[in-house]
Amino acid sequence: MKYLKMFVAAAVFGGLALMGVQAAGVKIIVNDSVGATSVSVDDLRSVFLQEKDSLAGAGHVEVVIEKGGPAHEAFLKQYLDKSDSALQSYYRSLVFTGKGSMPKTVGSDAEMVAYVAKTKGAIGYVGGDTAADGVKTLQVK
Amino acid sequence: MKFKMKLIVFVVAAIACLCPMASSAQDIKLSDHTISFHGFVTQGGIFTSGNNWLTMNTNGGSGAFTEMGLNVSTKLTDKLRISAQVYDHNVGQLGQWHPTLDFAMLDYKFKPWLSVRLGKVKTTLGLFTDTQDLDFLHAFALMPQGIYPIDVRDANIAHLGGDIYGTISLGRKRGSLSYTGWGGHNYASIYSGYPYFLQARGTQELRYDGTQYGGDLRWQTPLKGLLVGASRMNEDLSGFGIRLGGPNLEQSKKDYTNQFYGEYTWRNLIVDAEAKRFYRNHLIRNLTSEDSTNVHAWYVSGSYRFNKWVQVGSYYSHYTITSTFLALTDTSTPAGHDYDKVVSGRVDFNRYLNIKIEGHFMDGYGFGPYPNGFYPQQNPVFANSTRALVLLSSFNF
Repeated sequence: MKYLKMFVAAAVFGGLALMGVQAAGVKIIVNDSVGATSVSVDDLRSVFLQEKDSLAGAGHVEVVIEKGGPAHEAFLKQYLDKSDSALQSYYRSLVFTGKGSMPKTVGSDAEMVAYVAKTKGAIGYVGGDTAADGVKTLQVK
Repeated sequence: MKFKMKLIVFVVAAIACLCPMASSAQDIKLSDHTISFHGFVTQGGIFTSGNNWLTMNTNGGSGAFTEMGLNVSTKLTDKLRISAQVYDHNVGQLGQWHPTLDFAMLDYKFKPWLSVRLGKVKTTLGLFTDTQDLDFLHAFALMPQGIYPIDVRDANIAHLGGDIYGTISLGRKRGSLSYTGWGGHNYASIYSGYPYFLQARGTQELRYDGTQYGGDLRWQTPLKGLLVGASRMNEDLSGFGIRLGGPNLEQSKKDYTNQFYGEYTWRNLIVDAEAKRFYRNHLIRNLTSEDSTNVHAWYVSGSYRFNKWVQVGSYYSHYTITSTFLALTDTSTPAGHDYDKVVSGRVDFNRYLNIKIEGHFMDGYGFGPYPNGFYPQQNPVFANSTRALVLLSSFNF
């Protein structure tokens, strides 16, 4: 019984710690052509929800999202406050009313970095410990 | 089987065959532009006890419930998008496989706070007017029928004209305001509920259309997940048809809709509430009589998604109607109301395919001078209450 309690406590602690790492462990990356070094949480949300298509002083941006995975889940939770199902429904509502489009979707952090690096104006996200060579990392204010 | 029907079945089958590669087969690169294709198909079945519903013989069970759409869009420049969608449906006597242009428009974004749409544009009115024909977006198989009646939804789903819209940030502590101002012309289909409803009264409607304009203002409040808003639509409609062998005219004197709404989202829980007043003062019977119809409707709905596969929900929809021409003044009678209690479940097999099962427990049949789901063609004598089981499956890509 004592071991069971310890196991449950460890599992809860581990789970919370993992959630904390994930929530804090996502970074926003952009193509080198994007003339910004930081972005506000509001702007980030507006851009990914297609309410705006540019960052202040940085011109047009193109949103890229991941299909799933820890970085995707952390990004949704930290910045959009939506589940993946809700986000997909949201994008589909834009598509099928003519009010927006499905963003480019990639399958992994590595694909995300590669796509953002080669695509003018691209903005995406990767896990905090992912090497982000060839792209710029934005500070979120 | 008619050629058109065969063609539609072929298209549906072709789309279904594309299902496994749906996520990768929808974009085409043409020069510097990416052209995106998306589509959906919905098939439903309804079983009722009490009244037959939605122009189908549902008391015996009916599967005459098919909807589909195909859209194409591309960005011509960073600020200019062009998009169009063809929509077709056959729901009982509605639609009858006559395809329509759901929307076809240019969308130009000057600034986040100022953009325009021109062409045939889906109308922003309340939370879901523009998405009410897209079953796969919603937790429920049928939206609350008091506010989003499936049989007359073409009366306000789109307009040929334009929108001015935008979002204004009010700062971190005040949220943001989104506005839409719009105006144009609405052409109601002669295969819609209202012309079908008039047939039972001896009128063959040939045209029903007119000017519509209005606006929507919604506030994304600083309280995380809470949205509130209000919409208004004014109309000036006219109808022309044949009645008793002669021409028959109908003309708006004063038509308007007010709609107030709120949505609260917390994690996987969504709570929606809307209230609508639809006032319709028309000269009818070749302009020799006058009718004032008053519809008051509201609903409260809640849905919860357990995981990416399963979502459950429930709503209560309240609808009352009065009419001066019909001397219908008592909304407590079954003809004056329709109160619908609904429970629903949805299973998503993947991002593209879902199935819903839903129970409706309706009190009243709300039969005035404007339709509300129940028609005398299928119900020579109305029952005071109706129970319905709705099954719906949608595929989209």
